[in-house]
Amino acid sequence: MEFEFYSASDTKRPIRLCDSTRKFSYESLNHKYGKDTRKNPAVSLDLDNIKNIDSFSDLEKYNAGILVIAKNAPLRVCPNELICGAATLGNAINHMLPVEYHGKPLFESYSGISHLTPNYTEILKIGYRGLREKIKLSLGKNISQKQKLFLQSCLHCVDCFEIWHKRYLNKLQNMPGYENQYKNLCVVPEYPATCFYEAVQSLWFTFAFMRLTGNWPGIGRIDVILGEYLKNDLEKGLLTISQAREILAHFFIKGCEWICGGDYGSGDAQHYQNIVLSGIDSEGNDVTNEVTFLVLDIVEELGISDFPITVRINKNTDKKLLRRIAQVIRHGGGVIAVYNEDIVIKALTDFGYPLSEARNFANDGCWEVQIPGKTNFSYIPFDSLAILQKNTLNNYLIDTDIKSFKELYGKYIHNLSEELDLIYKKFVEPLFISGDNSEWKEMFPCTIVSLFEHDCIERGLSYREGGPVYNIISPHIGGISDVANSLYAIKKLVFDEKKLSFKDFMKVLYDNWEGNEPLRQYVLSSYNYYGNDNDEVDYIAADILSDFSDICSKYNSITPIKFPSGVSTFGRQIEWAPNRIATPSGRKKGEILSGNFSPTPGTDKEGATAIIKSYCKADLSKQVTGAALDIGLLPYNVRGEDGLDAIISLISGFVTLGGYFMQIDISDPKILHDAQLHPENYPTLSVRVSGWNARFVTLNREWQNMIIEKSAGKL
Amino acid sequence: MLISVTNIQRFCMHDGPGIRTTVFLKGCPLRCQWCHNPETQEIKQQIFYAQNKCIYCRACEECPQGAHKFENDCHFFLRKNCILCGKCVSACPSKALEFVSKEMSVEEILEIVKKDTAFYGEKGGMTLSGGEPMMQPEKAILLLKAAKKAGISTAVETCGHFSEIYLNDLCSFTDYFLWDIKDTDLERHKKFTGTDNHKILNNLFAADKIASSIILRCILINSINTNKEHYTKLANIYKSLKSCRGIELIPYHVYGSSKYMLLYGKENAKKEWIPENSHIQYAKNFLTDMGCNVL
Repeated sequence: MEFEFYSASDTKRPIRLCDSTRKFSYESLNHKYGKDTRKNPAVSLDLDNIKNIDSFSDLEKYNAGILVIAKNAPLRVCPNELICGAATLGNAINHMLPVEYHGKPLFESYSGISHLTPNYTEILKIGYRGLREKIKLSLGKNISQKQKLFLQSCLHCVDCFEIWHKRYLNKLQNMPGYENQYKNLCVVPEYPATCFYEAVQSLWFTFAFMRLTGNWPGIGRIDVILGEYLKNDLEKGLLTISQAREILAHFFIKGCEWICGGDYGSGDAQHYQNIVLSGIDSEGNDVTNEVTFLVLDIVEELGISDFPITVRINKNTDKKLLRRIAQVIRHGGGVIAVYNEDIVIKALTDFGYPLSEARNFANDGCWEVQIPGKTNFSYIPFDSLAILQKNTLNNYLIDTDIKSFKELYGKYIHNLSEELDLIYKKFVEPLFISGDNSEWKEMFPCTIVSLFEHDCIERGLSYREGGPVYNIISPHIGGISDVANSLYAIKKLVFDEKKLSFKDFMKVLYDNWEGNEPLRQYVLSSYNYYGNDNDEVDYIAADILSDFSDICSKYNSITPIKFPSGVSTFGRQIEWAPNRIATPSGRKKGEILSGNFSPTPGTDKEGATAIIKSYCKADLSKQVTGAALDIGLLPYNVRGEDGLDAIISLISGFVTLGGYFMQIDISDPKILHDAQLHPENYPTLSVRVSGWNARFVTLNREWQNMIIEKSAGKL
Repeated sequence: MLISVTNIQRFCMHDGPGIRTTVFLKGCPLRCQWCHNPETQEIKQQIFYAQNKCIYCRACEECPQGAHKFENDCHFFLRKNCILCGKCVSACPSKALEFVSKEMSVEEILEIVKKDTAFYGEKGGMTLSGGEPMMQPEKAILLLKAAKKAGISTAVETCGHFSEIYLNDLCSFTDYFLWDIKDTDLERHKKFTGTDNHKILNNLFAADKIASSIILRCILINSINTNKEHYTKLANIYKSLKSCRGIELIPYHVYGSSKYMLLYGKENAKKEWIPENSHIQYAKNFLTDMGCNVL
């Protein structure tokens, strides 16, 4: 049977996997299996006949909830799946504990944990029996009543994990065709994994249980986690590389579960967790192994963009790996992103992490960097353009007069500093008992993830109450490109060219540029904004980021929580748009502006290399938890051998220049259609016409349509 | 010494190997009827007028020659009156009026080319295109020489029509040639490009003796040069060259027509010249069968 997986490239996706795996992938990508989660939002405590719930503490309620999930959550075994276990309750997707009581959610508000990457290596190595021993050891220490209750909850949750596990065992015991799966589950996750297949099963089962109970954990460095198991199996001849590919493919297919098969806000994926590949280990040795390449094989063949992949690159990364990455990127979908680990590790060690810890970084499931299995992480996004507009420029309302660019910049940084102080007071201080900056307040229970995070069990403290080795709340600045562009436009227009006074310009902006179209056109077309490799504006952005990071560093020694800076918007530029007013750079009220640390749509005129250069002028090693850049290329840019070279050169340049994180997307025809409707937003979208490049928007309609058709696979 | 440059385009991926920065020089000895960069034909300065960018602010009305007229909300650019003083260009806030080229020094051009050094790697670098780069021969050679001195790989896209006295210098500073062969028929060449092809082929054969890498770029214009005789002659040329790495076929397209609008206020698209996909494939197969490496 033939199963076609969409590619933006005219290079065909290779076929290495067997038909039944390809079929399973095809069905999963067509949302065959995930939709049942919507039918089963939660299980009910009423099943356990619990009466006096009002007298329960939160922890008791949580324990009862986990038990009822373990006993009653629907089991799902898909036809021909090689890996078993599934998160089948819909409310878990909404960050909730998927448990109801008398028809209402057991906990009304948010109760799950996300943005963490647990320590899977431990469960693979010691099994949940080993966890139990660890917990008992801690219970035997001289501990407080609170610690005792937490550790008892840990034991209870391990028991629940076992209950859920044993239910799968019972189900599989008599299912023909699932003998291997049954055999694996007789070992893991109860006992240590003894081979690659068991290790993959244990990893998935542990992930799925965390997911089932309302948490949203990342996976981390999958080649580090699984590499040794595969190496041993291959050496002993227990497994072939093709067999290993099939097994790992099922892990990825199960990870790309679609939950409603339609538009659903930010996406339809249930798991959406980035996986990290390659890079160096804590001693500085390259970890790249067979698993690294198997993962690339799988996403290249099946076009699975979820789990997405981030590859850790450094100046010495093997050309063979770079080439494989380029080959996969070329198929589109933005499936692979890269970290420049030289900068990331510098950022982490400069911040104070020990080198061996820093070298082991992974992400939180998104691209924010953390030390996996040891970090309680969250980030606080804020709109830095709103600070400029509302605080520094008073909504263009009050009769402010600013005499120089220096004064303007100084005022902005002062306002930024005030905002960060508010953020700290709002999000960090309340976590501690007042008057004491080291005693954590009692938080919402989160025993399940605490089982897999160092040093929760050792310390007898939950993930939310200081259990992990590192506790991070990272303020994330958004809209930075537009702040830089705005300041730059004021600098040029008012202070350098003196085209009009500061006050008169504020009046123009207050009027949302109404009646000042020539001036707006001048501001739009005469200045090279962030993303065009123009030092003057790029260094404004760089300076703001540096100052931002310095301000944050003041808050690192107050509580056990560190306050490292980062840059992101994710998709927030869309929700921020209605609250934003006209910008000095020529944009009107309500426009959707820049995302992450990327240029504002429509301002990047010089192409991808210039964008990367603008981005790299900032000292990104000061953005400890990350600063993302998005690059869009067309399938025609990356055709053939030249195209692979181009991707490799872009990545190599990004590393040489000191980038942090970059996602390269090869755009699909939808983007091209949009470019036809809004050409002003796509000035540098260039296409390979035939023997040459042309900017898409400069082609006439006929040619545009031709290229759209071609890139859609000869419609 | 200043060079007339119409555009410096970074992140070009099909103008020679690797990521390249392409410098488009103004002026061309040929007048190909299918030209897709008409703004590079004339060596002298010109002005682009983009009607879709005009916001009818009438700032250009200050033209002392009266070249800009507004009637019934329409903007008329009377090019006959224009003396290229540039007052309208500076006055236009939306860049609907722009000079086609800029006079730049070798240093200024190289400064831009060097911006992408981090991305050139082993293969990428600077490509001179146009127009015909060798319409400004001494300047083009100086630029190539300076690039080589700075350690930047060089490529030249040429129509081949230039004085042979520059050939040695050109070849010593050029790593890759992209050599256009518009047609192999002398009469047709004269009719459609304005000159015969003697000089072009002579230069090509002379360059082949000293150049390290040449790619032939051959435009396919339906019903003009899409015939076996032409392909056979092409193949013979290819086979007689020692440094030729391959032939690139470039089907005629109407992409340049929007630039004719900007320059002359009228389109210049000839759809009947677009070759059929099946014919492009035929030409590829024919040349391959004749022993050519078709890229």
